Amino acid sequence: MKAQMFLGFIVMMFVLALPVNAGGKGEIQKYFNDVANKVKATENVTEKRTILDESLKGMSKVLNMVQSSPFISNEDGAVIGRIKASLQEKQDELTGNNGYQRVPDTQLNNFSNYVVQSMEQAETISISLVALLLIIILVVLLV
Amino acid sequence: MLNLHSFLFKSATYSMFFVIVSYAALLMLFTSCSANLSVQHEVPLADSSTQAVQYSIVCFIHGDGDYIYHDTNGKEYKADEQALAVAKKVAQQNLYAEVYIFHQKPKRHFLLFFPLRDGEFFYYRNGQLIANELYRRDNERSHFQNEVDLYHRFHENVKHDVVSMFLYYGHEVPEFDGAAYDASYPDRKFIIDDLAVGLKDFTHDSARFDLMILSTCYGGTPYTINALGPFAKTIIASPENLHLSYFDLSSLERLDLRMRDGDVPTFAKRFAHEAFDQLEKDIQTEVSVAVYDIAGVDEYLLSVSAAYTKTLNTMKSEPLFPLTTIEHCDCAEFPEYLKPTMSAGVEILYRPALFGKSKFKQKHSGWECLRSVAP
Repeated sequence: MKAQMFLGFIVMMFVLALPVNAGGKGEIQKYFNDVANKVKATENVTEKRTILDESLKGMSKVLNMVQSSPFISNEDGAVIGRIKASLQEKQDELTGNNGYQRVPDTQLNNFSNYVVQSMEQAETISISLVALLLIIILVVLLV
Repeated sequence: MLNLHSFLFKSATYSMFFVIVSYAALLMLFTSCSANLSVQHEVPLADSSTQAVQYSIVCFIHGDGDYIYHDTNGKEYKADEQALAVAKKVAQQNLYAEVYIFHQKPKRHFLLFFPLRDGEFFYYRNGQLIANELYRRDNERSHFQNEVDLYHRFHENVKHDVVSMFLYYGHEVPEFDGAAYDASYPDRKFIIDDLAVGLKDFTHDSARFDLMILSTCYGGTPYTINALGPFAKTIIASPENLHLSYFDLSSLERLDLRMRDGDVPTFAKRFAHEAFDQLEKDIQTEVSVAVYDIAGVDEYLLSVSAAYTKTLNTMKSEPLFPLTTIEHCDCAEFPEYLKPTMSAGVEILYRPALFGKSKFKQKHSGWECLRSVAP
């Protein structure tokens, strides 16, 4: 029994160590990179626009849920708020709302690269591990 | 069923034995990596220093954060590892240089409890790897004490002129607060003044680096340039956001051919143009690369120092900080920064983002400021 418990402990350490060591790194960036790949893979302009729109909305929804979670510190909440605002601006530009010129059909591939690069420069660097893990879990479950 | 149970139990026992043996082997491996034992490659300095060193490069690569980016084909890169690979190539291709590379990695633990070394040091001389050591970054004395110790262990003061460079590749070095700069040391603070203290220890108050390359976001603020100016004659930095693909380091390869006349300011401008061209080609977000001639910007820095310090102090005392949003913007947007000397000593290369609210901004002053925005 003791051997089994010890084995269980070792296995648990491995299981816990994986996400902790990975630090949730790059998951938001990877999400938008996948979106950009999908956008570039289709020739259909309406489909490109839909993929971008749904992905921006989906990530915003996830960030809303994470932001309102009791596990999130005020500091993380503020950072998440800023990322949400940035995503909203991108959505406005995609659809041509709130004073933005609508992204032309011919520019949708470049716009998808812009979203990826913008997120790579965003403050995801300073989000805590807890917040990142929550985001990852919710992206997997909901988006 | 009993056989299955027996089989599973035996398998579990063997697995456990295997795990324990593996851990023991790894423990022996890791504990053998002490600072003095981990030299993987050693060439006697006396043999390798037959060719005089003409260039001395200190390169810091911060890798303790979320440094993943993708190219436009969707391929994933780790910014710090990419920068490290190019820095090594630079070191190997410069036969008249000594190159110190410090790779600051995330803190990791063996068996969840035993901290592993989280810094890796490379010392190249005349294109050859002389030393490669693991070290611990965590230090009570100062942020860079271990790196400074390693530097002075190998550095020799030579009588002839040596072109010296300091490179810092990482994310934005904050001007205040600085908590969680290192993702794996959330309680440790790191601000631009800490970098300045480190530079003081490297130079021993005796000399300035001929060229400093600050490959981070928002490096071109009056405060940052003022803090680092005492340690460099020329600084290359990005006033705006800088994509993680960074300034292209390959411009530093074969310095003997590229900097024959030893004219560092001219070389700095060439480096900036090449870095800008590379970024402009691949990046949809805004691109800015500025070259600051420290002697030339002194007067402007003096004239705006009070205004900038006032802004910083206001932000520091803000009761809601860090819940308030701090925005970076071109200093030219504020009347108190519009001085006749604003463009003196600065060469700025700028292209706005191809999308977003700043896509119509056609030029940049080369100086970045801060403003707070209500949450």
